[in-house]
Amino acid sequence: MATAPDLLPYDRIRADLFRPLSRVSRRYMLATLIFFLVGAAGLVAWGFQLRRGMGVTGLQRPVFWGVYIVDFVFWIGISHAGTLISAILRLTDAAWRKPVTRAAEAITVFALMIGGMFPIIHLGRAWLFYWLLPYPNSRLLWPNFRSPLLWDLTAIVTYVTGSVIYLYLPLIPDMAQLAEHNTPWRRRLYGALSLGWTGSDREWHALERAMKLMACVILAVAVSVHTVVAWDFAMALAPMWHSTIFGPYFVAGAIFSGIAALIVAMGILRKVLHLESYLTRRHFDRLAKLLLLMSLLWLYFTMAENLTVWYGNEPKEMAVFGARTRGAYAPWFWTTVFLNFVVPFVLLGIRRLRTIAGATIASASVLTGMWIERFIIVVPTLANPRLPSASSFYRPTWVEAAITVATFAAMAMLFMIFAKLFPMIAVWEFQPHPQEDD
Amino acid sequence: MYLIAEFREKDTVAAAIRLLRAGGIAPADLDVFSEEPIDLPRGVLERPSRMSLVSVSGAILFGALATAFIWWTQNDYRLVTGGMPVFSFWATGVITFEMTMLGAIVGTFGWFLWESGLLRKRDRNAPVPTVDPGAMCLRVRCRGNDIAGALDALRRAGAGDVQREGEV
Repeated sequence: MATAPDLLPYDRIRADLFRPLSRVSRRYMLATLIFFLVGAAGLVAWGFQLRRGMGVTGLQRPVFWGVYIVDFVFWIGISHAGTLISAILRLTDAAWRKPVTRAAEAITVFALMIGGMFPIIHLGRAWLFYWLLPYPNSRLLWPNFRSPLLWDLTAIVTYVTGSVIYLYLPLIPDMAQLAEHNTPWRRRLYGALSLGWTGSDREWHALERAMKLMACVILAVAVSVHTVVAWDFAMALAPMWHSTIFGPYFVAGAIFSGIAALIVAMGILRKVLHLESYLTRRHFDRLAKLLLLMSLLWLYFTMAENLTVWYGNEPKEMAVFGARTRGAYAPWFWTTVFLNFVVPFVLLGIRRLRTIAGATIASASVLTGMWIERFIIVVPTLANPRLPSASSFYRPTWVEAAITVATFAAMAMLFMIFAKLFPMIAVWEFQPHPQEDD
Repeated sequence: MYLIAEFREKDTVAAAIRLLRAGGIAPADLDVFSEEPIDLPRGVLERPSRMSLVSVSGAILFGALATAFIWWTQNDYRLVTGGMPVFSFWATGVITFEMTMLGAIVGTFGWFLWESGLLRKRDRNAPVPTVDPGAMCLRVRCRGNDIAGALDALRRAGAGDVQREGEV
């Protein structure tokens, strides 16, 4: 006769999920230091660029958008991990989302912080970024609100505000619990951040209502933000950019890379914080299926985008299409197809290979593939403008490479610091449940 | 004064609230404390909310203000647009949309702080019970002649330990 599985008791859940906050190991310190140093190297490279000017980058006529814009699009895409995944699963009341959402929401906030820096880095004279703000300049001229650059600014400000609140709201009950048992400085920090939460039904009702409303709003904002990022390209009459499907194409790609980032983060958290009882194979399996679905959707969009150009045979577009598929950028294009479709299709499509390790490897492959895909979208179009004699080739310099690598280190460092300050799984959402075997 | 009773089962809390309300205690005088949200049956302890209304109002307000601001700035210093309209709703629609959503976000968060009581402490002197994981505490604010009836209702519903806090 089958017996009921043992339930993970409340005390064990609290101990497991709060434990990572109280211990700082040497390995953690070392890893954080390494990420900090890599991030600092990126700041040095940026400082060099500020001092010497944009000439230290590979940007030159006609390619004025390079790796910085690629990084911007990539990180804004990654930010879709939290809002879309967490909000969709919350609205559909998917119970399995509970251990996943906090990490996803944190990824969103950090990716947005990093992605939002790139337009400023790309400006060159970064100290003049405030010119974007809506105030009249010395000639009483206001910013041009018809410019997609202003659309970006408002979209990202809205998204950052919403994402920070969406991360903060479900943290309040956990911080109230943490404020009760902790070191003095943590007690003060959590006490202040939890705003005197007592756990009354009025507070719970208000929190649940606010989370539902925020989930609805943030979904619309997340879709709009990446659509606006796509329109930065699609509103230009440039070959292979001026496309009606660019909005949904970018949104699908963003969700795709967001899920991949979430799986990689979960794989690392599970191992490092010993969360094997909470981030189980079931969670990875469901996210892996979502990733596989998005991989197929990405392939569909890529096919639709390229096939119509090829069939139309318009000379200016064919120049870009040729550069992408047969010319100088062809190795990158086909690498993208391999990393974004072939690898996930094999590793996630075959049930036996759809393990935690398989899902993590496929996700890492997708992240790499999506960064290259952004490069393939941005650069070949600019390198092959409508005037064929102006064609050029873009190669990023060490400054752009250093800043790009530094952002990945910054992301890892921010995530690690967050994991030491706040529980990576919402404790209050986690009721005793049967322990699962992997 | 306050009575604080601990319960282990959701049904017994619901039964206690029904008995207390039947005895004349108003819903505003009842608070259930727990470490996780509790879904009580419909009608037991409703907490009416205006959060959706505030959210929509915030959205309309921010959207309208943003549109008005753009219209005013574009007309304040007219650019040469080659015959195109100085203010175009379609070209600035994205900003209007984003500001509308920002209004909804700010409205929701602000009203959450207000409605939950985190900003305005309704009763600073009210005792806050320490709740064990998995347990629920029902706090009842009683006036002089309610106490006996409330105590009886809590015991009949199956409360474990009932504590008295504060003065009558």
